[in-house]
Amino acid sequence: MRRPRPRLQIATKTAKSAKHAEKPFSLRALRPRRLFSFALFAAFALIVVGTSAQQQALTAPTDTAAVERGRQLLAQECGFCHGSNARGGSSGPDLTRATLVMEDENGRQLGEFLRAGRPDRGMPAFDLSATQMSDLAAFLHAEIYLASNRRLYKILDILVGDPKAGQAYFNGAGRCASCHSPSGDFKGIGAKHDPVTLQGRLVYPRRGGIPGSPAYEDRNAVKATIALPSGGTVTGAIVRLTDFEVTIYDAAAGQQRSWLRNGDVPNVTVNDPLQAHLDQLTKWTDADMHNVTAYLAGLK
Amino acid sequence: MMIHTTNDQRQGRAGRKKRSSSALFAVSALIVVAAAVVGAQAPTESWPTYHGDLSGRRFSTLKQINAGNVKSLTLAWVYRLNTGQSNAIMGGEGPDPKPGAGTPPSVKSTPLLVNGVLYLSAPDHVWALDARTGREIWHYFWKTRGGDHIGNRGVGIYEKWLYFLTPDNYFVSLDAVTGKERWHKEIASMKREYFSTNAPIIIGKQVIIGVSGDALDVPGYLESRDPESGDVVWRWNSTPRQGEPGAETWPDEYAMSHGGGMPWLPGTYDPDLSLYYVGTGNPNPVLAGQSREGDNLWTCSIVAINPTTGKMAWGYQATPHDTHDWDAAQTPVLIDGVIDGRPRKLIAQANRNGYYFLLDRITGEHLVTSKMIESANWAKTINAKGQPIGDPAKEASVPGTLVSPNTGGATNWPPVSFNPDTGLLYVGTTQTFSILYLTDTDKRPQGWAAAERNVGNIGTALKAIDYRTGQVKWSHPLAMTATGFTGGAMGLLSTAGGLLFGNDGGGNFVAYDPLTGKPLWHAGLGVNTGNGPETFLLDGRQYIVVGAGDALYAFALQQ
Repeated sequence: MRRPRPRLQIATKTAKSAKHAEKPFSLRALRPRRLFSFALFAAFALIVVGTSAQQQALTAPTDTAAVERGRQLLAQECGFCHGSNARGGSSGPDLTRATLVMEDENGRQLGEFLRAGRPDRGMPAFDLSATQMSDLAAFLHAEIYLASNRRLYKILDILVGDPKAGQAYFNGAGRCASCHSPSGDFKGIGAKHDPVTLQGRLVYPRRGGIPGSPAYEDRNAVKATIALPSGGTVTGAIVRLTDFEVTIYDAAAGQQRSWLRNGDVPNVTVNDPLQAHLDQLTKWTDADMHNVTAYLAGLK
Repeated sequence: MMIHTTNDQRQGRAGRKKRSSSALFAVSALIVVAAAVVGAQAPTESWPTYHGDLSGRRFSTLKQINAGNVKSLTLAWVYRLNTGQSNAIMGGEGPDPKPGAGTPPSVKSTPLLVNGVLYLSAPDHVWALDARTGREIWHYFWKTRGGDHIGNRGVGIYEKWLYFLTPDNYFVSLDAVTGKERWHKEIASMKREYFSTNAPIIIGKQVIIGVSGDALDVPGYLESRDPESGDVVWRWNSTPRQGEPGAETWPDEYAMSHGGGMPWLPGTYDPDLSLYYVGTGNPNPVLAGQSREGDNLWTCSIVAINPTTGKMAWGYQATPHDTHDWDAAQTPVLIDGVIDGRPRKLIAQANRNGYYFLLDRITGEHLVTSKMIESANWAKTINAKGQPIGDPAKEASVPGTLVSPNTGGATNWPPVSFNPDTGLLYVGTTQTFSILYLTDTDKRPQGWAAAERNVGNIGTALKAIDYRTGQVKWSHPLAMTATGFTGGAMGLLSTAGGLLFGNDGGGNFVAYDPLTGKPLWHAGLGVNTGNGPETFLLDGRQYIVVGAGDALYAFALQQ
C-alpha cells in the first residue's frame, strides 16, 4: 500500500471555488496548537507546488504561544459576555465578526478601544497590559484566520453509520462484494485509512494528480482501446482523448503513443475500471454511504 | 540600466510613441463607440465592453470567417503575458515585488478592443496591445498588498479612461493612451477577505462594479462610481437592511448584514428599459444555513437595477436559501424572442446550480426552469415560481453528504453565448460529485462552515439549449484523461458565420457547428482557453482573439 500523499487539484480553478487540496492526513490528530504550525506548513506547501489554490488576504498566526495566552485571557476576561469562543454570548456580540477586530493591527486599535470601553453600551473599560492586548488580538485574529481558511477546517467524527447495515449493503445492493473482499483486498483496511479518507475512497477510489506519479500509471486509470488502421487493437491508459487526438500510455513499451483522430477514425473504445463506482454515484443514499464507511472502518 | 539598453528596447520605445499618437487621435471616436454598445447589435470593429455589447449574448454578426472557410483560420500572433517590471508603469500601495516572484497569471479577462488597441488585464496587470501585431504598447503593474489573486475579468473604458479592479480592492483609472495612472480608490477591506475581480461596466456616466469574497461573512454590494472622480454615486446592497423588502427572508439584522451575496461578475443592460441585470453570489455562511433561516434575499438572484439611481426594479432568486455555494452570478443573457406566439423581452441564465432559467426581463416574471445536467441531486422539487427547492437532506452534514454538482457548480463564470440564428444558448457543463462535511456545528457558524472532498465526475459536455423551452438540443462530450472526464465551463462566442468558438476541455480551441456541435476546426494550444473568445474586424480583416494559460492568441484567415 502506498503511503497516503497529498492530492493536489491541478485542474482549472473556478472563480469562486478554488478547489482545495485533498486532505493529506487527518486534522483530527492535531491539537489546536499544532494546527497553526500545520497552517504555516500548508501555506508553504501550496506555494512550493505552485497550485492555483485560493489565496488569503489574512496570514497564519506566527506566535502560537501568544494565541494560547490570548485564548485563556479571552475566556477569563471577555467570555462572560462574548462567549468563551468569542462568538458572542449572553450580552456581547461576536468578536470575531466585529469590524473593529477584523481591521485591528496587532492589538493597536483593539487596545485603544478596550482602554476606553463603551460605557454607554455596557462595555466596561479594561486595563490590560500591552502584552495582554496583543495576546488577545493574536487569538482573535487566529480565530478569524481559521474561519476564513476552509482548507484547515477540522472534519468531525463521521463514524455514525451502522456497520451491520453497511456489511449487508456491501454484500447486497451495493454489489461491492463483486470486486472487493474483507479478507482479500480490504483486509485491515480500517487500520490503513482514517474514516474520512476511507469514505472518500470507497465512493471514488481514483487517485490523480499525485506529484511524481503520472495519473496514467495508476492502476485505476481510464483505458482506451484503439482500432488501428492497420488492423488489430492497442490498449492503454488514456493520457488524452479529444476529438482530434488519442494519446495512451503503452505500459509494455513504457512510453506514450499518439494518433490523430478525424471523427471516429481511429475508433476508440473507453473502459473505466471504476465504472461501477461512477454508476454508483447516482445510487448512493447518504445512510448507505455512512454504513459502509462504518463497516470498512471496523475491518482492522 | 541605460547602458544595457538593447536595440529591441529602443525600437520598442520608438514604436510606443508612434502608436500612442495614433491612439490619441482615435480617442475622439470613443464616445461614438460607447453609443454603439447599447444598441441592439454588437459593434463589429470594436469590442468596447466585457461582452462586446451589453446584451451578454456574445454573438457577432461578422461572417468573413465562416463555416465554409474556417479550415483556413490560422495564427496571426501570440502575446505572452509580460509581468516584468523593467519597462512597466508601476502603481499600487504594496511593497516592491521581487523580480520573477509568483506564478504567471492566466488570461481570464475578455480584452477590450478600441481603435485597434487591445486592453488586456490579469490580477495586478493591465496591458495595451497593438491588435494588428500583438505587440505591447504599455504595461501597467500594480504593486499589491495581497488578497485573492484568483482572476480578473477585464477593464472598462469611458472616453479616454480605463478602469479596473485589483485583488486588494482598489478601483484604478488609467489613461488609455499612455497607461499612466490617474487615481486609485479603495472600495472594500482586504482584512475582511473582500477581493475584487470584476470587469467595470460603463452605462452612461455610471461605472458599475461589484465586490467578491466569501471566506468570511461579509455583505455584498454593487456600486456605481463617477468616471471622473471615482467617488461612489450609489451603492446597492445585495442583502437588505432592517425594514427593507426582503428583510423578512432573514432571521435577523445580524444574519443579513453578514449574509454575502457578492455580485462578482459583470451584468447586462437593456437601454430601452433602462435596467441593469446582475447576478448575485451565494449567501454566507456558505455551506451551513442554520443561522440564516429563510430564503435569504437577494443572494443567488438575478436582479434588475436602475443604473442611474441604484434602485432595484425586480429580483428573481434562482436558489432560495442556498447551502451549496451556487450563486447566480452567471451572465444574465438578454434575448428578444417569441414565446407562445408573442414577442417577449427575455433574460436567460445557465445557472451554476444545474438549472436553466428564462424570465421576462421587464417584470421578472418566471417563464421556464429546466435541468441542464442529469446528476444534480440537491433539489427535489421546483415550486410554482420555478425555483428549485433545496432538499434539507442534501445539505452538508457531520458524517458527510454526497452532493452533485460540487461547489464549483454545473457551470461557472465563463461567459456563455446565445446565437439568435439558431435560437440556442451554449454552455459548458460538468457533472461532478463531492462529499460535504459540516465542520462548524455552532448555532452561528462562520465562513464556509464545511469541508468538501471531491469524489468523481460522470461527464462533461458542451450543451446547446433551446432558449424557449430549456430543452438540450445537442450535447457534445468533452475530453478525457487517465482520471476521467475533464473540462466543463468554458468561454464561448458564436458568429453569423455559422461558427461557435469554445474549447474541448483537452487543450484545443475549437470552432463548432452551432447546429450540431460537430467540430469544424481546432488549434492545439496545449492548455484550455481561459476566457471568453472575442471577434472584431480590423483593416477589413476579421480576428478571433482568445486567451489560454498565460498567453493571448489571435487568429485570422490565411492571406
